[in-house]
Amino acid sequence: MRQTKMEALEKARSMGPEAVLELLGRKGLEGRGGAAFPTAKKWRASRDAPSDERFVVCNADEGEPGTFKDKFILRHNAETVVEGLLLAAYVVGAKRCFIYLRGEYDYLRPRLQEQADSVLARAGMDGVTIEIVRGAGAYICGEATALLQSIQGFRGNAMQKPPNPTTCGLWGRPTVINNVETLACAAQAVLFDDWDANLRLFSISGNVKNPGVYEFPLGVKMSTIMDVARPARRLKAMSFGCFGGIMPVDEGMAITPEAICMEKCHHGAYSIILMDETVNVVDISYSIAKFYCYESCGKCTPCREGTVRMLNLLKKVREGRGTKKDLQTLQELAAHIQETSLCGLGQTCGNHVLTSIEHFPGDYEYYLKKGKK
Amino acid sequence: MKIRLNGNEIEVGGGKTLLDICRENGISVPTLCHHASLAPQARCRVCLVEMDGKLVTSCSTKPREGASIITNNEHVMKARRLNMELMVPQPSCRREDDLEVCGIYEEVGMKGARFANIKEYKPDLGAAVIRDNNKCINCGRCVQVCGEIQGVHAIDFASRAHNEHVTPYFEKNLASVACIRCGQCILNCPVGAISERSHIDEVLSALADKDRHVVAQVAPSIRAALGELFGMPTGTLVTGKTVSALRRCGFARVFDVDLGADITIMEEASELLRRLENDGVLPMITTCCPGWILMMEFFYHDLIGNMSTCRSPHEMLGMLIKTYYAKKAGIDPKKITVVSIMPCTAKKFESTRPELGSGVDFVLTTRELGRLVKMKKIDFASLPDEEFDPALGISTGAGVIFGATGGVMEAALRTAHFLATGKELGRLEMAEIRGMDGIKEGKIVLNGKEIRFACAHGGANMRKLVERKDDYHFIEMMACPGGCIGGGGQPIYRDPDTLRKRTEALYFADRASKLRRSHENPVVKQIYKEMLGKPLSEKAEELLHTHYVKRDRF
Repeated sequence: MRQTKMEALEKARSMGPEAVLELLGRKGLEGRGGAAFPTAKKWRASRDAPSDERFVVCNADEGEPGTFKDKFILRHNAETVVEGLLLAAYVVGAKRCFIYLRGEYDYLRPRLQEQADSVLARAGMDGVTIEIVRGAGAYICGEATALLQSIQGFRGNAMQKPPNPTTCGLWGRPTVINNVETLACAAQAVLFDDWDANLRLFSISGNVKNPGVYEFPLGVKMSTIMDVARPARRLKAMSFGCFGGIMPVDEGMAITPEAICMEKCHHGAYSIILMDETVNVVDISYSIAKFYCYESCGKCTPCREGTVRMLNLLKKVREGRGTKKDLQTLQELAAHIQETSLCGLGQTCGNHVLTSIEHFPGDYEYYLKKGKK
Repeated sequence: MKIRLNGNEIEVGGGKTLLDICRENGISVPTLCHHASLAPQARCRVCLVEMDGKLVTSCSTKPREGASIITNNEHVMKARRLNMELMVPQPSCRREDDLEVCGIYEEVGMKGARFANIKEYKPDLGAAVIRDNNKCINCGRCVQVCGEIQGVHAIDFASRAHNEHVTPYFEKNLASVACIRCGQCILNCPVGAISERSHIDEVLSALADKDRHVVAQVAPSIRAALGELFGMPTGTLVTGKTVSALRRCGFARVFDVDLGADITIMEEASELLRRLENDGVLPMITTCCPGWILMMEFFYHDLIGNMSTCRSPHEMLGMLIKTYYAKKAGIDPKKITVVSIMPCTAKKFESTRPELGSGVDFVLTTRELGRLVKMKKIDFASLPDEEFDPALGISTGAGVIFGATGGVMEAALRTAHFLATGKELGRLEMAEIRGMDGIKEGKIVLNGKEIRFACAHGGANMRKLVERKDDYHFIEMMACPGGCIGGGGQPIYRDPDTLRKRTEALYFADRASKLRRSHENPVVKQIYKEMLGKPLSEKAEELLHTHYVKRDRF
């Protein structure tokens, strides 16, 4: 996470927007919020959408459980993030920039404000402003459309896409929304010739002695991660945040999107929660269900009504009252919510159920048998 | 572009949603959160169809070129059914409810309950509109209509996930927020979670009381809508059947609110002329609509001086029943119960206003009257046509068009012209203020002076017209889309053409009237001669006029 010290912006302005887009496209910068969308493509779509006004937003509403890399970046390298934000504004032609800061990170705000002001003053970009908007604690506001609703002063509800925010976002104008890490990487990718598109920040937590943020290249071996994180006991399972699903730990596995996908999980922002043998995965699934049952925005039926039913069924199973039929209903519900929900929250909130039942049937069996004793 | 719809290749125009395309091709798709004239919310997720194998909400999705759309395979039906199961864990449909959601249970093939009911809300009981969140399915149409069509924003969603619920702001009751009681939310509730505060029980006990003389008065727009509740085609005029149904329910007299409307016109036209002659506050704004009065009192109380002081027609007639009629018939006014049959929930609130005294005791909406008739096991469709009671029962076509947007204005101008010039207005029908445009305007010349007038229907349109009020001399405001024929107490309708058909029925009734000008009504003349003297007399001011108050929103 190198600092760019205003040189990236300077270089970009000497190159011109088109050349910057071409460079970022060539270097293969992808969004780091979880969806891995090509950044240059997003910026270009926004730049090309006809409008009198454009906006760029830094999504610092890092809410995924087990994810803390954006907080790390904002504490140690915020100026590079702000520089990346201005770089985006320069490329797409935006004047108003926003940083949407997670409510729980409000303690970072005073320093962030100073750094934003300082970078802005040094950038000398006419009429460009940066506003820090504090979230109010809703996980859903990390989702792009809900985040924009929140900035505009509305209830943080996810909105149906299309239209995509990139062409029709804040106040109906083209709006680029990028994750904190993405913006920092954009500045670095422009400035450093040896910038490596393969490097990712991993948030490692769970039953380990050294939790924290680590930088690894994609394809890193699981054993390498374990060497630095140092689990106390034999590891059993890992969860990618809450939404990515739960899968068994295989020391020989190389961490790549494809390998994770093979296990029906999703890498997201590479936040890995490691669990050892003392953990029953059903308990983890129950905690995750509780999380979604609290954080669903409530707008669409399957997510609003389905998450609470998933939780109730998991509760029943954990209390030893569950049946095989309950597990079938759980699977049916989870798949249904994912298939028919409006936004990314609903479309992923059943992953933990589906993957845990598939990968850890023994843990469910334990609770089903417990009830029969 | 070409798409395949259930296997058949069809040509579709651009810009249409899958829902529009399906319905145009005669394919039924269930919807709950969809409102024909508002942006899709894509909330309820029961309008799912398959596009190229993936489930999408048809209300918010436009097809791609060459897309294959399937609306009826097991994948689609199962997903729709499960979303319905989640929304309504314990479906029940009593036959008399006729709720929109009941048709959808059948369409998706709902079976028994699989999930427990998890809602525990206290009902919100107001004087006009009541809500039960335990029935609510969070479709959000009430919220959308209240905000976007009515411009009131009294209700919105609060809380998250399964705790998300519709509530007036600050979790208050409807009765203590700036709700104009228009009841448009009721018309848009597919599950009956919002309804009027029923007066049926009170009316039944009055009817059962041998000492009470119970009188019904019927608003103009009831006759153009009541038949719908008994399976008659939309726009059927059922004036005579309404009268005989009320008699069979036990009402001693059945009067026509049109007479109240005729008297309102006499008073209001005179008031307009007085303001024009004496440099009074202009524009003068009509006050027949209690929803508009509440909106003015909550949001625009600086307009109190612009408001006509006339009571609404049924309040006027209520006072005349308890004075003029009581005296003529030799009945103690204290023993008379006046029940207004209204297309309106705000009239229920109006009847509790202390400044109006006791002219009207109870208000039944069109829907409640329908329920009452069904309770009494009366076969409405085969009733004979009967006439209103004569003592206060002769009315004009001018009174009947009060039920449609622009009608009060049209009727008032017919009479104002005569009162001001002694001559009848050349044309009777004013096309410029008829029809469903949100704001309509026109002008006439009165004694050499140009009088500009405008009318708005629907709350959001009223707000727009308030902003331009200074361009006019005379303004008519109606809170409900279409005017009273689209009132919050009317039968719940799904066909968007309903308002037009009901309006046509009223204009037909006007054309069919022998008397089409309020000042020609012989009963009106008689009442002024025997009791009131002339319009705006001291007696008329006492019985027929009122005042308004400023109301706090918070």
